[in-house]
Amino acid sequence: MVHARRGGIGRYYDVNGWLFVAPALGLIALFMVYPILWSLWMSFQAGRGMTMKFAGFANIVRLWNDPIFIKALTNTMTYFVVQVPIMILLALILASLLNNPRLVGRGLFRTAIFLPCVTSLVAYSVLFKGMFAPDGIVNSTLQAIGIIASPIPWLTHPFWAKTLVIIAITWRWTGYNMIFYLAALQNIDKSIYEVARIDGVPAWARFTHITIPLLKPVILFTTVISTIGTLQLFDEVYNLTEGKGGPSNATLTLSLYIYNLTFRFMPSFGYAATVSYVIVVLVALLAFLQFFLARERDR
Amino acid sequence: MDKLVRTHLPRIAGLAFAGASLLAVSAAQAKEITIWCWDPNFNVAIMKEAGARYTKTHPDVTFNVVDFAKADVEQKLQTGLASGTADALPDIVLIEDYGAQKYLQSFPGAFAPLSGTVDYSGFAPYKVEVMTLDGQVYGMPFDSGVTGLYYRKDYLDQAGFKPEDMQNITWDRFIEIGQEVEAKTGKKMMGLDPNDAGLVRIMMQSAGQWYFDKEGKPNITGNAALKASLETIGKIMSANIYKPANGWSDWVGTFTSGDVASVVTGVWITGTVKAQPDQAGKWGVAPIPALSIEGATHASNLGGSSWYVLESSEEKAEAIDFLNEIYGQDIDFYQTILQDRGAVGSLLAARGGAAYEEADAFFGGEKVWQNFSDLLAKVPSVNYGIFTNEADLAVTAQLPALTQGTPVDEVLQAIDAEIAGQIQ
Repeated sequence: MVHARRGGIGRYYDVNGWLFVAPALGLIALFMVYPILWSLWMSFQAGRGMTMKFAGFANIVRLWNDPIFIKALTNTMTYFVVQVPIMILLALILASLLNNPRLVGRGLFRTAIFLPCVTSLVAYSVLFKGMFAPDGIVNSTLQAIGIIASPIPWLTHPFWAKTLVIIAITWRWTGYNMIFYLAALQNIDKSIYEVARIDGVPAWARFTHITIPLLKPVILFTTVISTIGTLQLFDEVYNLTEGKGGPSNATLTLSLYIYNLTFRFMPSFGYAATVSYVIVVLVALLAFLQFFLARERDR
Repeated sequence: MDKLVRTHLPRIAGLAFAGASLLAVSAAQAKEITIWCWDPNFNVAIMKEAGARYTKTHPDVTFNVVDFAKADVEQKLQTGLASGTADALPDIVLIEDYGAQKYLQSFPGAFAPLSGTVDYSGFAPYKVEVMTLDGQVYGMPFDSGVTGLYYRKDYLDQAGFKPEDMQNITWDRFIEIGQEVEAKTGKKMMGLDPNDAGLVRIMMQSAGQWYFDKEGKPNITGNAALKASLETIGKIMSANIYKPANGWSDWVGTFTSGDVASVVTGVWITGTVKAQPDQAGKWGVAPIPALSIEGATHASNLGGSSWYVLESSEEKAEAIDFLNEIYGQDIDFYQTILQDRGAVGSLLAARGGAAYEEADAFFGGEKVWQNFSDLLAKVPSVNYGIFTNEADLAVTAQLPALTQGTPVDEVLQAIDAEIAGQIQ
């Protein structure tokens, strides 16, 4: 009897609960699930613009024979392999430095380093483009203090253009990651450091043997987030290179290539959808790998 | 805050209601035609002039000419067409000739055919051909991109060159002059954006070739004109007679600022050149330099574009009537835009007008328009195909390799491979 009444209330809660989440579920289905399934269906179609036909795996075959796709993939992986470690390490070091309670003006430093994160991606890219122009402030400063004799071709040389993109995203995102570490550092018991200090463990060893292992869950989280962010890199490259990924496709990313395939070239929506699934697969694989590596170290 | 909302809300609502009803009333009377185009000194200004002329005789029709960067117009249009909703699209849009077939073929039914209304026999045939698909003609032919060599007489004079020295030269001579100019004046000869294949296209077409052959098949590895063009660009870069530019506005800045001694581009740049009144009298115009291969000429084309009416437009009828009345018939309009903006239109009847005969004081009294008109007749005709954008990117992608000394034949092969992966 009691059991049945409880079930009745339970059902009442169930129905109401589902009613409350129904609008959200409906929106998720409409704006997330439907486009995802539709793009999967699109990736099996080929054609020009709105005249698309089912083409089986033709788009996947096209991927292998497309030098620009390979180039975009290589660039994206280069950004990932070079930029993410630099940024994560930089963020960790900055976070530990700024966590030092004896540091004067650390609120100011924290703000200064986090501030790039609140700037618009487009605005800062446009500013960087101006600053790194042949006669921009960066080149003229470097020339004035005598580090370089002639301006560095930041935007017109393949190597320097890639470097510039890495500098830009590092500037923009290091502070963002640092905030996670700063928050996590508050949770590390100070007595652990005290013990280490009494035992004469040097600062660098404290960093590598105490800070990093204890921050591991957060490092894993930021690495996964940064991986996703880097693989989806678009705004900076688009704005620094006028949407072309130049010079010589040296800065072209997968996302920019998807954009070009859809909005700049002869529109091949099907092929663009296929490339976007490459990013999905890559992100899934890399995230899995990172979780796997982190778990191994636990033992 | 709460009080503010309570006291002001009725007033705001009332205002909004009044505004909405005002809008409804005016919408019933007046039609507004929205137009997208990209050059404030050229097609934007010209469209405003055209709109003003039409409004004079049709006071119920007004115009909203929206000025974007060209790439933004193209990408916004493509996004709007792909989305399938017409709300975000204009009534009339400017499309560059290179891209016209791409839009017509990719988005069937998106543009209004004007075949029944406009008398196309009065226009330059190559312009009409670009906008024809399956027997229907879409769009109103607008400007030609006949090319010229604009040069700073004052700088060249300092370097010891007279205007005669600039007539009918080769690119090799142009580079020599450039080196001389830099030695004497410290100015670079030209602005060059390594991410823009415009100059390659100018050179290639001047020798009668294109990225694609008449059937639309890629024409890269066996293309003598493209090979010579790339070699010439390589020479310009290794002679270092150029000021590097990144992007269109940067490139325009190289000559509006007076930093370079010449510009090789389409006649539509005239409006921008003349927008610097302090440089009046300092500019001259000559035919572009020629390549040193068989079939090379001094005449070429860069860009050129036409107006297209969206099929989904609510003001479709008015838009078509407007284009036909002004661009299709108004000879006087063409004289005005020629003199003010350097627009060499493609309405043949307009070419007999008085403005073509006149000397232009900005160019030191030269009869520049007659010269451009003569050159226009000599532009070799080529098939632009539908993948010029893709081919352009393939070419710019290989320009750095060219400057690093990679043999041109290898560069051509790389371009060919990249294009093959793109055209499907």
